[in-house]
Amino acid sequence: MSRCIVHLDMDSYFASVEQQAQPSLRNQPIGVTGKPTERSIITAFSREAKRYPVKTAMPVWEAQRHCPSLILVAGHPERYVETSKRFLEILKEYTVMIEVYSIDEVFMDVSQEAPRRGGPIAMARDIQRRFRDALGPCITATLGIASAGKTFAKLVGKRHKPNGIGLLRDEDIPQLLKTTHVGEMCGIGPRIERRLQQLGIYTLSDLGGASERLLRREFGVYGLFLHQLGLGRDLTPVVPYTEIPPPKSIGHSKTLPPELRDRSLALLVLRELADKVAARLRRLGYVCRTVHCGFRTGVLGPGYAKQATLALPSDDGETLYRACLSILDAIPLQPAEIALVAVSATQLLARDTLPDLLFEEDRRRARLNSAVDKIRTQYGDRSIRLGTSLLLKPLPPHVGGFIQEAWEFGVADRSAAP
Amino acid sequence: MIRKVGQSIDAFVIYRRDLAHPELHAFRWAGRRYDVSQTNFVHSEREGETLYLCYSVTSAGDHFHLRLDTRAGRWTLEEMEMGP
Repeated sequence: MSRCIVHLDMDSYFASVEQQAQPSLRNQPIGVTGKPTERSIITAFSREAKRYPVKTAMPVWEAQRHCPSLILVAGHPERYVETSKRFLEILKEYTVMIEVYSIDEVFMDVSQEAPRRGGPIAMARDIQRRFRDALGPCITATLGIASAGKTFAKLVGKRHKPNGIGLLRDEDIPQLLKTTHVGEMCGIGPRIERRLQQLGIYTLSDLGGASERLLRREFGVYGLFLHQLGLGRDLTPVVPYTEIPPPKSIGHSKTLPPELRDRSLALLVLRELADKVAARLRRLGYVCRTVHCGFRTGVLGPGYAKQATLALPSDDGETLYRACLSILDAIPLQPAEIALVAVSATQLLARDTLPDLLFEEDRRRARLNSAVDKIRTQYGDRSIRLGTSLLLKPLPPHVGGFIQEAWEFGVADRSAAP
Repeated sequence: MIRKVGQSIDAFVIYRRDLAHPELHAFRWAGRRYDVSQTNFVHSEREGETLYLCYSVTSAGDHFHLRLDTRAGRWTLEEMEMGP
């Protein structure tokens, strides 16, 4: 095997971490949720719960209908981030070619290292043993290994869950292509799958047999990637964590509980989100030129969004919020109730590449922000807040989406040198 | 059943050279000594500049959640779960 790509996926990640931290939850069907109310959704189920027909992101009421004995557990994001950092530290001992795909998934290119460690299977077993020793018996990982590339490593890993090791040998690829439906592949969602089916393409081998020109005409450049998958090849390289490009946008969104859906209260939440986005911009040393703001009228309802370019690049929460208000004014629909608000900053520029602020008012706000940041750094995020935020009852912490991006938790000291 | 405690306690810890956090060996609460038989999970939390280390440990079949304020060097028993 010349090329050796490994996909590592933690099993029932959030739920396993909770079971490790709280032994009374072990061997129980648990569901991790942001806030254990009927209206929440479950972000992770334990293995025991997965014996029932439950799915990630299922509403609590529906999950409880399928699994009446389900125990709801409020998530602890700090536990998951810490565990991720810990397992990444272990993986770094094997290779530097680690791509942080999500909080519980990585790709590794171990083409050089695997032969020195007794082959990919022996190496995978060693990783699982190290995880067990360092993280505890409940927190396990499944590894998929393939020379065919990342997508195939992920596929073969998925077929060996939980706590398994899957190896796709080159000689097994033709058979795999014949028996694998296109929808099973990462990167082929329900819409693309439907479009492929309309072209008479159901399996990977159908995809490989289709003409490249047809796929290119239907899917553009992506069609070429699809064609390669059909031939049993995914040449997408593993992008190591050391080479992750700087962020293109920084944003936050919040699904509002019913008591906060009144437009005036939703705007207060939006104000807090704008403040959080601005604080992250400052922490990472960026300013933004464009603000993107949107809302939804129902949790799964239609979304409305627009963007606005700022007169001057900014990292100030008040400026971002005012841009959001002008965006919302420009959207024809003015609903009385809002179920979700979102704000993001794009077109980021490094703060230190810009000239000093010209106007005294801007300099004053920069000093104010700097003082607020210092207070928050020393005493915590909630030590100093806008007076208007006191009108809101505390919102639950983020569990599902995770404010940490791969480039934030996967790379040491990245925030210090963006 | 989880019982909230929130009381300051005495702790016996070992600083091992190969561990990133001190190992909780035993603690004393309500006049009784509890020997830690298993450390289930340790994670850190930050409130401003104060770093807390949160321990989930087992002693004699009961589970305990403790927190070390690394600035003040003070241990708190946050909650306990009675065994199965």
